[in-house]
Amino acid sequence: MATVFNQDREGKLAQTASGQVSYAIETAGLTKSFGKVKAVTKLDLRVEQGSLYALLGPNGAGKTTTINLLTTLIGPDSGMASVAGYDVVKQPLMVRRNIGVTFQEVALDRNLTGRSLLDIHGRLYQLPSKEIKKRTAQLVELVELEEVLDRPVKTYSGGMKRRLELARGLLTEPHILFLDEPTVGLDPHNRERIWAYLQDLRTHQKITIMLTTHYLDEAEKLADKVGIIDEGKLVVEGSPNNLIASLGTDIIKLTGRGELEKFQEALREQDWIAAFRVASESGSEEETGGTTDVLINLTSEAGRAVKPLVDLAERSGFSVEDFSLQRPTLNEVFFKYTGRRLRD
Amino acid sequence: MVTVVKKRAVPTVKETGEWDGLLVGIYTLWLKHMRKFRSSPVEILFTLATPVLWMAFFGVCMTGMVLEANVGMGYLAFITPGVMLLTGLTAAILGGTTLLLERVNGTLKEYLVAPIPRLAVLLGSMTSGLTKAIFQSMAVLLAGCLLDSSLAFRVLPFLGALGIATIFCLGFVGLASAIASQAKSMESYHSLIMVMNLPVLFLSNALYPLEKMPATLKGLALLNPTTYAVDACRILLFNSKPEIGLLIDLMVLVLFMVASIYYGYRAFSKVMQKIGA
Repeated sequence: MATVFNQDREGKLAQTASGQVSYAIETAGLTKSFGKVKAVTKLDLRVEQGSLYALLGPNGAGKTTTINLLTTLIGPDSGMASVAGYDVVKQPLMVRRNIGVTFQEVALDRNLTGRSLLDIHGRLYQLPSKEIKKRTAQLVELVELEEVLDRPVKTYSGGMKRRLELARGLLTEPHILFLDEPTVGLDPHNRERIWAYLQDLRTHQKITIMLTTHYLDEAEKLADKVGIIDEGKLVVEGSPNNLIASLGTDIIKLTGRGELEKFQEALREQDWIAAFRVASESGSEEETGGTTDVLINLTSEAGRAVKPLVDLAERSGFSVEDFSLQRPTLNEVFFKYTGRRLRD
Repeated sequence: MVTVVKKRAVPTVKETGEWDGLLVGIYTLWLKHMRKFRSSPVEILFTLATPVLWMAFFGVCMTGMVLEANVGMGYLAFITPGVMLLTGLTAAILGGTTLLLERVNGTLKEYLVAPIPRLAVLLGSMTSGLTKAIFQSMAVLLAGCLLDSSLAFRVLPFLGALGIATIFCLGFVGLASAIASQAKSMESYHSLIMVMNLPVLFLSNALYPLEKMPATLKGLALLNPTTYAVDACRILLFNSKPEIGLLIDLMVLVLFMVASIYYGYRAFSKVMQKIGA
């Protein structure tokens, strides 16, 4: 009973009889609506074993719903999803045995100590208490929580809580780890640490990780493969490098002031502009001096677009004060596919 | 770092046993709630404060007003069953609070992605609520014994009364779970509970005999499970003249318990469908 997780880790997940590679996570036509809101629409995902897959998308794009569907928290309206080779609808208990999850909001019991919390978690998965103790010792070393382990969780900092959640997710040695916004609200130091743990983990263990994030540098740094979803649909998928390379074009940053909305309207109408976004609209008047940055992806070389672009801005009543060229990053990939429809 | 894996045949879903997971789940969640309870002495003290106030102030003062002939025993002994049940009721409601809190702050999700059936989540919080209720009922019974000589300690009647308290509390644990599953917030849960709390006590025979109540109120009291539980406890503890009768009491209480738990389960499952929304 207790060793249920240790079952045939490689065997079950390796190859099917026909010789095809079986995926750690596979969905086909996965759909879920809440009332009239379509959270996930006909999603087809394939995540290879041992890879780290980052699901990107603006707020409300359906990332968390996807995670909830894959972790059997909610059931789909239609379509299928298999996780670790088990169907999420027909065999939810088997799916749950094979996964570890951390949710977007910190969900830890404030009044328990870290040790007690891990102990309860291990018991839920029917691990023998000796095993729980052993793994707890290993994991708290990994996430550097040895010293606070016997303190109530309410005394932990935000970074410690996240690290404890990560340890909890790993306690049961899952085949597949789901991390929903694992570094949201953390300072740069703690984010780097979480990244380091994940990378360390992957060098030691064949574990598949699916994480959602809206920190694009995080995805660029960690992920083997990135999927960008918007309005519940997968809009593009690929390795971070390929996605960036596929943009191929330069980005022009215009800084200026004036009729921003009219300028945006004009930009939308040009076919030589692939995408654009307004970067620093929210800055206070004093800080930015009332100027706004507009980042523009071009379909052709930057040289030829400079004059038309400036002309277009001036004609729309947006006076240009500064001008620069940027190399594309995953940010630009993201905005190319979701930028024109940014919403909350 | 993390240990490498032993190979083992893949068990089918049947082999791993859903019932196994159910019991483990219930026990684990019960254990967790008990650990939290033990680590917060304030919660223990406060839940005991209400019955102590009833007994030490209301009971002691009313003893001078109430003729023994009217109630058939010392007034403190007379109200002991009612106060005991009230205490149990409070604990049951706190059990609902636990469920609500875990639902609102998201800790419930941890259980829902663990390999335990969802029923275990509900039963785990029900059993921990019930355990607290029984401990506190026991404390009140013993206090009644010490304060009023009309209530003598005898093992079997005491166990009987605790049994009645268990059935009664389970009923309210079910109701509290139902309300906790549906309540939008802590505030709405507690305002509803407050409204429910007082009539449960006053519209019953807990503080005065049924025969002294006006007909309308008596009719309402007969719709209140507390009335039956108090009657049963008095019969068991004091051999007093039944106001209703032990058999009917038991039947009504069991019916109440089953219906409430079913209602609680229904409400809980319904909410679980939407938890990821």
